[in-house]
Amino acid sequence: MAAISRAVDLIRGNLITIIIVLVFGASGGGGPSFLWVFIGLFVFLLVAGTAGWWRFVYRVEDGELQIKQGIFVRKHLYLTRDRVQVIDVTAGIIQRMFGLVKVEIKTAGSSSREASLSAVTKSEARYLTSLLRGNGIQEEAAEELEPEYEEKYFLPGKELLIAASTSGSFGIALSILATIFSQVEPLISETEMYEWFIRYIPSDTDLFFIISIILVFVIFAWLMSFFGTLIRFGDFSLTIKPEEMVITRGIFEKKRITVPFNRIQAVRVVEGIMRQPLGYATIYVESAGYGDQQGSGSVVLMPLIKKSEIRPLIRKILPEYDFNTEPLRPPKRAVTRYIIRSSFVLAFIILGIYWFLDAPSMIWIFMIPGVFWGWLRHRDAAVGIDLDRIMIRSRMLSLSTAFVRRNRAQDVTSSASWIQRYRNLANLEVSVASGDQGRSFNVQELDEEDARHILPWISKLYQLQVGETFPISATE
Amino acid sequence: MKKDPTRKITPRAIRAWQWSAAFSNLIYFFIPLLYATFFGYDEGFHFWIVIGMAVAIFILWLMGIVLFPYLRWKKWRYSIDENEIDLKRGILVVQRTLIPLSRVQHVDTRQGPILRAYGLATVTISTAATTHEIPALDEFTADKVRDTISKFARLAEEDV
Repeated sequence: MAAISRAVDLIRGNLITIIIVLVFGASGGGGPSFLWVFIGLFVFLLVAGTAGWWRFVYRVEDGELQIKQGIFVRKHLYLTRDRVQVIDVTAGIIQRMFGLVKVEIKTAGSSSREASLSAVTKSEARYLTSLLRGNGIQEEAAEELEPEYEEKYFLPGKELLIAASTSGSFGIALSILATIFSQVEPLISETEMYEWFIRYIPSDTDLFFIISIILVFVIFAWLMSFFGTLIRFGDFSLTIKPEEMVITRGIFEKKRITVPFNRIQAVRVVEGIMRQPLGYATIYVESAGYGDQQGSGSVVLMPLIKKSEIRPLIRKILPEYDFNTEPLRPPKRAVTRYIIRSSFVLAFIILGIYWFLDAPSMIWIFMIPGVFWGWLRHRDAAVGIDLDRIMIRSRMLSLSTAFVRRNRAQDVTSSASWIQRYRNLANLEVSVASGDQGRSFNVQELDEEDARHILPWISKLYQLQVGETFPISATE
Repeated sequence: MKKDPTRKITPRAIRAWQWSAAFSNLIYFFIPLLYATFFGYDEGFHFWIVIGMAVAIFILWLMGIVLFPYLRWKKWRYSIDENEIDLKRGILVVQRTLIPLSRVQHVDTRQGPILRAYGLATVTISTAATTHEIPALDEFTADKVRDTISKFARLAEEDV
């Protein structure tokens, strides 16, 4: 079983290569040679999977997990119990088919992803957990005794449907579709289907044809992102434990993410452009170490939540991130800079079309969304501090509000170009740790005075200096 | 409000930067070269484009030697106390960064061949999220800065 699961893991790890091979195979004339490549690949993966399994051994000795793996290059991993932060037991489709589970042992560093046992029996997993957890078996028993301490949150079906239908992965789906289509297109062009299209669609409905194709694309992309989100976030639950929270989600493949509270670096509330009008948002936490995807430390805490319920939830589970302060906004005179920032690329594109394609001057009305977008970004940008927290709100497409505690902020940077200096404006950026690297939150075009006041917020001395009074914007 | 950082970096840094700019910016001359190989330079139009690009890049290259290292040196300020590292730098875009010492994960000094020739070293400061540099200090100062930061970082209690 483990061999199969490894083979599947390999397939997954090399998915892009395989797709490239498949695409090249398909376009390179196809035929029997293509079939052989495919079979060869499959056999190779199966052999590699079996060999990998054969060469993978582990044991626990004196509370130390030892793993030896690698077919040619042997890798030895020794992990002491004290370093183990989280043990995640999950079951993917393959594992579930055979009644097995996958055990991932994570430490504070994120290179520890290698400590993953891809297929073990459930009893073995339980035994391993008990060996590697803190004080061993006793603690496990103690944990089972006080389950009432936990608190569970779910995502109701209605919310899941809304989340799926307003999912932001829509754009990504669209680009994937476009890529696939560009690959498939030479195949189609030679088929009868194409001729059929040409024959049955009168040439004077060209525009109609194009529009309907775009429409079909959009609907397809939407369906893809709809079901993608459904599968990813179906069966969602968030369990709050004394020391950590556990998020499980996924319909076919159960994913389980454990976030110890002391690893949380920031909380982020994101209102997608389709969700904002409906009054919904997504909550993420940034965690140091590991997150949803490899490398990134972002974890979806709540896929969809009513805006009015965000504060109560945060107050309940992450009270140190709840604060209320008068936000400072970029001054009015910054609005032109926001508009220029947001629309100059668009202006160049339109200029190009206008100039080279002899488009009617009507196309300049497409500037309006760009200008509007800039205005919107100016309206939404804000920063707020109190002695222990900072809130930074900014909009790319979706509106994102980040909350960072002072003791989790790694540094603060203010920057101003010479034009900004001339106009007494400055940008402000706060970095936090997240995943392997960091993540930064910034707000643009603040009044320079404000930026200069907020900069030392990160300093320990700040509390003593500022004390009672808060920086008040020079412009408002 | 916090005062601007005060310490400057060594004037010798200018020389080192001039050399490194002279070498590393040579790569930009490949742009007109590439253009010439792709489009040729016989025709009047392409010829003037190649010449124009070459001249523009030459001027930038010259400024990269004569002007920018000096300005960069002139604008660089840093200071370190037991609470924060304060960095201010930038010619067109002026950046100022505050790094609390309790967030510093490690500091080290490094030298490339050019810096070594001038007896200079760069101090690199890493936090859990970002990496910052104080470039081209003279070796003695660099070591002192590194040790100071390291000492302060150890002293700075994790304020949780």
